Formats: sequence, structure tokens, C-alpha cells
Amino acid sequence: MNVITTNGLSKHYGSVTALDSLDLSLESGEPIALIGPNGAGKTTLFSLLCGYIRASAGTATILGHPVGSSALNGKLAALPQDAHLDPRFSIQRQLRLLAKLQGFGGSDARQEVQRVLDTVQLGDIGAKKPGELSHGMRKRVSLAQTLIGSPELVLLDEPTAGIDPPNVKIIRDLIRSESSNATFVISSHNLDELEKLCSSVVYLSSGKLLESGPIDASADEGYLTIRLPSVSEEQFKRECLKLNGVLDVQRQAQGDYLIQHTVGHAVDQALLAMLAKNAWPYRHIIKGRSLEDRLYG
Amino acid sequence: MSVISIALNEWARLFLSKRGWIAIIAFALIWAIFLMYVIAPAARYISSQEVGLVLGSLLARFGANALNNWQSTEMALYWAFALYVLPFFTMISAADQIASDKARGTLRFLILRASRTSVFFGRFIGQYLIQLFIIIVTMASVLALIGYHSAESLTDALPEVPVVFVNMALVLMPYVALMALVSVIAQSAKQATLFAIIGWIVLWFVLGYVQNNFGPFPILDWVLPGSQLGSLVRLSGWDTLNLAPIPLLHTVVLLGLGWFAMNRSDL
Repeated sequence: MNVITTNGLSKHYGSVTALDSLDLSLESGEPIALIGPNGAGKTTLFSLLCGYIRASAGTATILGHPVGSSALNGKLAALPQDAHLDPRFSIQRQLRLLAKLQGFGGSDARQEVQRVLDTVQLGDIGAKKPGELSHGMRKRVSLAQTLIGSPELVLLDEPTAGIDPPNVKIIRDLIRSESSNATFVISSHNLDELEKLCSSVVYLSSGKLLESGPIDASADEGYLTIRLPSVSEEQFKRECLKLNGVLDVQRQAQGDYLIQHTVGHAVDQALLAMLAKNAWPYRHIIKGRSLEDRLYG
Repeated sequence: MSVISIALNEWARLFLSKRGWIAIIAFALIWAIFLMYVIAPAARYISSQEVGLVLGSLLARFGANALNNWQSTEMALYWAFALYVLPFFTMISAADQIASDKARGTLRFLILRASRTSVFFGRFIGQYLIQLFIIIVTMASVLALIGYHSAESLTDALPEVPVVFVNMALVLMPYVALMALVSVIAQSAKQATLFAIIGWIVLWFVLGYVQNNFGPFPILDWVLPGSQLGSLVRLSGWDTLNLAPIPLLHTVVLLGLGWFAMNRSDL
């Protein structure tokens, strides 16, 4: 089933085109990564899908309903990038109102709020006001509101931006566990994180769709990625290039080495043997390239 | 259903927040001062026969001699005072219907679960009910004052209560609608109040200019919210309802503009 369909969807701000005739069709299932550089149109797309802004041209449907349709109440949930709860009222009171608007009765709303707060491991902070929580905890509360009821599609705009690693891990684990109940579309600049969570990708640039679909496994053939701390780059490259089938070794920005080899050669076994012989401890070896290398390499 | 939930939540926004309580306490103090040091002494003063005669002729000169027709002096003073003061309080207390939630992004959480129309009218209805509550509380305080001085005067005042309540409810309605409109455009409650005051003054100047240079156009006398107040103070009893279509029309127009702005605005 299609969760999102857009036809010629465009958004202009004066002479600036934020989204340019986007034709997109996303199916329900595994989490989908929405990626692209700043100004690519990711937040604009989310805002259009949530009905926060109006399209300049084109149409969009969510779960078969037009954007803004009352039929989407409870089916579509979103974590907007810069949205905050009211600092004057308790978390519980505000989430309870959202639950009531989704059709929960008084005591059911209370129970549902407790359930979603428990899900984000913040079951004991209901009585607190947003200002009493850390940035990471506030983000988790915002994530909790997306889980009220049983949404079919959840849009998350930069869910882990500016958050400390423990909170990032909690959010990532949560998305992974909840992804069996709903389709998540996640926008983020953290490609490592998206690669861990998502099996398909929508790649935007300058408001245009560059790529959409499952992460292509065939693009991984002929590549190995290895993280190898405390070994001289020059020494490693020299030893590596001696291996049968290795074509090139590149040091990536984040410190990993990307090894390109001829397809069909079992370079991984030879590489492990070489590492053992030189007593070089490695952190991890990945068959293929990282999402970042695939898109920007 | 969502309109009711949003309207009821407006009460929580007033009574469960520090800012709401500061506004309530500030208004209660101002009202208590007005009650003790303006209405009570003025009612006693006017009630004396000589002063009453002098005041009667003065009110007649200003076209407000209908105040003499009120059975209760205190209620007549409340009427004259509330007509001009409560709209200002409304412009402050009802200023944050949409503004701060929109600026903060809180509205984005609501819009996924309720239509913009529900949010807009829910907030308007909630704020209007709060204004009705304020009318009831202020009228009750005046009745308590009257009853404290004389049970006989209270009997005179009670028949006038429905007239005053219905009229005050009509008078305040377009001001709540005005604040609903400007709070869609503004980024904060303070800005909304400022926009409303500046907009009112600018419109007043423009209308005056048009009337002086191209008029008179009698219909333009009724364009501004509250434009009927001068005429209203000249009426008494249920005759006051002759002017009821004006605030109702103002409310419909302002709500229509606000609803349009709400549906067109980016969140």
C-alpha cells in the first residue's frame, strides 16, 4: 500500500523554489530515509505532507487521503523539527489533550499518555513541565506524542539533531521496535544512523528528487569498508594494495578506509589474514560502502 | 467534538497557568478598587436628590440621559463603565488565542489531530465563554455591593441584570473575534494586542478622512468594532437590543477574516 504519493508537488517562496515538481511514491513497510543537504527541501516536503504549508502546485495524498483530510486523524503522526510543547503546562495535560483530539475518552486518554511516556522511558515525568526537562528528554516527549493511538505513518524530521548519545540510542531503539507497527519516514543528516534504521532512501537535492527506492545491494559489490584505529595510513595502504584483487584504498573523512576490489575476489579473507599477521586490531569491517560514500563518495 | 475539547482547554490555559492567574488577580484588584472607590461612592452621591437633578441635566446635554432611566444607580454606573472598560480587558486577555502556539510550533501538534477551523473556532468559543464568565463575576460583585447597602435596591437592580448581561455579551463578542483574527497574524499575545490597537486607530483615521473628504457615508459610522457604544449608552431596557445586529455583524466579518487567515497561514 502506498503511504505517500505526490504528483508534481512544488513549493515556491517568492523566486526561491523549495520543492520542484516532486513525483514520489512510497510504500508501507520498513523505515524510509529522507536525505539531502541543507535546503534540499526535506522539511518543506514534511510540512506539505502534514498540511502546515500549502503547495504552490501539484498534489499529495497520504494513505490514499488528500493532505489535511480529517480521515488522517490518528493515522498520520509527525515530529516536526522546531515544534515545542507549551512551557506553561505539564507534559501529561498537553499529551492528554492530543489524545482526546484523537478520540480517546477521559480515562482512556490518561492511560494512553502513560503508555506512550513509558514507551519512551519517561513514564515518571508526566507531571513536569517541558522547561524542567533536558533537550533530549523533550525530544523523546515529542516522539511520544507521535505514538498516541496507532498511527500508520510517522514522519520524523531530524529526530536526533542536537541530542546526546544516550538519548540518540533510546530514540533509535524505539524507532526500530515501533517500525513493525507503522511506516517511519525519517529525515536526518546523520547518514550512519539512517543506514542502521532504514532499508530505502529518498534523496533530495535543491528541491528535486535525485533517487528513491531500496538501498541498492548491488552497489556494494566490489567494496569493503574497514575501521582501523592506531595504524599508520601509509603502512596500511601499502600492505592492502599488495592483496590480490585490491584496486584502490581511500581514507574517508570519518577515519574509515574504503577498499575497492575486483568483483568476485574474496578479498575479505585475505584482508583479515593480513590484519592478523601485522597484529592490527580493527573495529569493524563492512561489506560494501557506507550510505555517505554511496551518495557523496 | 474537537471544537469542544479545544474550547474547554482555553479555560485550563487561563486557570492553570501562572500568566493566567496574574491576569485574573490584576483584573480582580482593579475591579475591587473600581467597585469600592468609584461605583459605591458615586452611587451614594448621585442618589442624593440635588446632585441627581444636576447630573440629570448634565447627562441630557451629553445625550446619555437614558442612564437616569435605570432603576438601580449602581447598575447604571456599571453599565456605563463596563461598556468602555471590559472591551479593553478583552483585547488583552483574549490576545493569545493562536499567536504564541503558532510561533512555538505547538499548533503543529494540534493541526494533525484537528482541522484549522476547529482550532480557530474552538479557541474563539473558549475565550468568549471566559469573557461571559468575567461579565457574570463583575455583575455579581455589583449586585453584592447593592445588596450589602440595601435589600430594597437589590430588588430594583435584579430586573436589569438580564438586559445588562445580554448587552455586554453582545458588546464583547466582536472584540474576542478581533483578537482571534489578529492572533493568527501576530507572533505573540503582546503583538496581537498592539496590532489590534494600531489597526483600530488607523481604521478610525482612514474612516474619518473618507467621511470628511468624500462623505458623509452613514454606513461607515458603524464599521469599527464598538462604534455602537455611543448610541447604546443613550438607550435603556430592552431597547438596547435595537443595536444588536451591529456587534453580530462585526463578529461575523471578523471571524470570517480570521478563519480565512488561519486557513491560509503557514504554520
